[in-house]
Amino acid sequence: MNNHGWVARTIAGGAALALGLTMAGCSGGSGASSRPENELHVAMYGDAGNVVEQKMIDAFNATSEVKIVLDKIPGGEYQSKLQTIMDTPTAPDIFFNWGGGSIKSFVDADLVLPLDDFIKEDPQLKDAFLPSVFETAVIDGKSYGVPMRGTQPVMLFNNSKVLTDAGISNPPATWEELLEDVKILKDKGITPIALGAGDRWPTLMWFEYLYDRVAGEGLFQKALEGDSSVWESEESRKALGMLRELVDAGAFGTNFDSVKFTDGGSPALLASGKAGFELMGSWEYSTQQSNDAAFAAEVLGYSEFPKIDGGKGDEDNLVGNTNNFYSIHKNTRYPETARDFLKLMYSDQFVQEQVAIGNLPTTTNTEKFLDKAADPEYAKYQFSLVKEAPSFQLSWDQAYPPEATVTILTAVSQFFSGQIDEDGFIKAMQSL
Amino acid sequence: MTTTLANRRRPEGAGGPEKGRPTRRVGSSSSRPGFIWALPATIFFGLFALVPLVAVAVLSFTSWSGLGDPKFVGLKNWEALFEDPVMLQSLWLSLLFIVLGIVTQTPLSILLGVWAAGNQKNRAILSAIYFVPLLLSSAAISVLWRALLDPNFGIPGQMSWLFGDGNVLGTQTGAIAVLIFVGMWQFTPFHTLIYQGAARQIPPVLYQAASIDGAGTVRQFFSITLPQLKNSIVTSVILMVVGGLTTFETVLILTNGGPGTGTTITAFHMYQEAFRRFDFGTGSAIALVLVVISTAISFAVVRVSGYDKMRSSMEGL
Repeated sequence: MNNHGWVARTIAGGAALALGLTMAGCSGGSGASSRPENELHVAMYGDAGNVVEQKMIDAFNATSEVKIVLDKIPGGEYQSKLQTIMDTPTAPDIFFNWGGGSIKSFVDADLVLPLDDFIKEDPQLKDAFLPSVFETAVIDGKSYGVPMRGTQPVMLFNNSKVLTDAGISNPPATWEELLEDVKILKDKGITPIALGAGDRWPTLMWFEYLYDRVAGEGLFQKALEGDSSVWESEESRKALGMLRELVDAGAFGTNFDSVKFTDGGSPALLASGKAGFELMGSWEYSTQQSNDAAFAAEVLGYSEFPKIDGGKGDEDNLVGNTNNFYSIHKNTRYPETARDFLKLMYSDQFVQEQVAIGNLPTTTNTEKFLDKAADPEYAKYQFSLVKEAPSFQLSWDQAYPPEATVTILTAVSQFFSGQIDEDGFIKAMQSL
Repeated sequence: MTTTLANRRRPEGAGGPEKGRPTRRVGSSSSRPGFIWALPATIFFGLFALVPLVAVAVLSFTSWSGLGDPKFVGLKNWEALFEDPVMLQSLWLSLLFIVLGIVTQTPLSILLGVWAAGNQKNRAILSAIYFVPLLLSSAAISVLWRALLDPNFGIPGQMSWLFGDGNVLGTQTGAIAVLIFVGMWQFTPFHTLIYQGAARQIPPVLYQAASIDGAGTVRQFFSITLPQLKNSIVTSVILMVVGGLTTFETVLILTNGGPGTGTTITAFHMYQEAFRRFDFGTGSAIALVLVVISTAISFAVVRVSGYDKMRSSMEGL
């Protein structure tokens, strides 16, 4: 028996098969024909909020012939999973996203259905939402997403008890006041500002606000459009210098790189009174609430990011997740059903359900329901911030396409821990 | 012992009872079991190892984000790879992880394994406790240690004389030390198991003879146990090398490759390029580099150690 011949042939066969599979995988693409009949799949970021999405779907399915199925994907892996299935026959019909850069590459690959025709038939699909929010999912003049869930601006949270004990009566309104508070808290042996730098994106929030306040929203917009020279502008250096000053003043303590938000580390610092402030998205409230409802209701304070004298950005500008969106896959078998489902996103029922679990939808009818929110005062404060903000900058890591995320997050964390200086940061951002 | 060896060496059919029966079925050296016996394993290996390997090789010459068709770009990914500072650093880090892993785990697991091979009181109970980490998933272990090492609410917060301000994962040295420690905690039980099995195979006559000659426990360990464990050491080291090269979950969960790129080892770099930057071309190129390196190291270890000659450590017994 000639074993060697066998082996050689098997390997050759395997190689040929592999090539074949690769080609098949590449050209496989997608076709409506392979999609299941009377089913519409929604790819959803999996978390506690899914209860409401499921409720809306159940209500929809009660009267619809085409049934909607909610496919929950664990949050941390959502974007990776979406990218790998989008151009395959198992792609979702409707998918959750953050607008902006999170859908740009899908739009470029011609995988997303423009909603403009639907909007022409039913203008409410656009007009029922706050314009600044709806804009996030408009790419090259075409609308690709309908806002769902809520808006999540980043705010400066505080432990009011710690501040009172330290003799600080009000949250800082200006950068100077913030620096002063940092010094007071530090002298008392308290970490002035909790920072979950282990996750890296909490660090990025400081850059987003500093750049916006110092240089205005225009700088980042230009960078996003491809003008990388803005990173070495005078304003850019000024913002970086101020961040460096804050870190060097000991505002975040010394061990922030070992702390994470996602495992509860930094929220616990704030709640236990070991830290005075935390810059975080509006979900800080629900995070604290699920740990200790009394703390969230009575001790947790919140304010806008301080204004910076001489800065070009408006003091009411916001950064954060402007909203979440639903978009429709181009190859869906039932575009009309998908459209009808998206119309629910501005219905009274949807808004009420979202408000009840602490989310803040950005529809024009949201205000009516704010009294029924989990914490009406907090909901109203947030809503007025978003409504009055001249500009609401989407988080940098969502505004850029996903492939830029690693570079951005590495650069911000290295800058904070002192591994790179201003020039290093500028160089990293220019490489995008 | 001599009987065992004799049985093994006894030529086929010499025992007599096989007389008259077709000899092929027993399998003499001239007619070993046909290739058909290896077919299931070969098909699996081909489908799940060779096919993806070839696909990855093809992808490494393309630019592909997972959307649309891969575009052939020639050697571009490979050229970029050799100029990528993170890639070069990641190779050094991987090497460091392997060396430190072997240096910390091997002595400990040999000692534990030899001890566990004995028949002391309480041995079974203690061994069972030592093996617990082996039963946990890497992800669970990483999450566990991440929580234990929280600088404000974990162990470092209570032991500032050892951890200082508790910024263990915030410095490169600290992060590497944590990963090596957790790797040791996680994998020592497995290698202990290997050495325990091997130590049990050492013929007691050797120790009896040595003690008659007046050799103490320490002398016996170095002159009998260690040489007898040689083949197991080679096996264990190869597993550590390959395991070290593919370490991933602990890095992802404990350090996320940081601080900065301080613990971005090659396997993590590959994941980051492919599934975070969606550059499957570069990711595939890194994967191939890993395949080549681990194959080369395994070959080298086998060659240098003489493992390929399969010499029994019991020759002459």
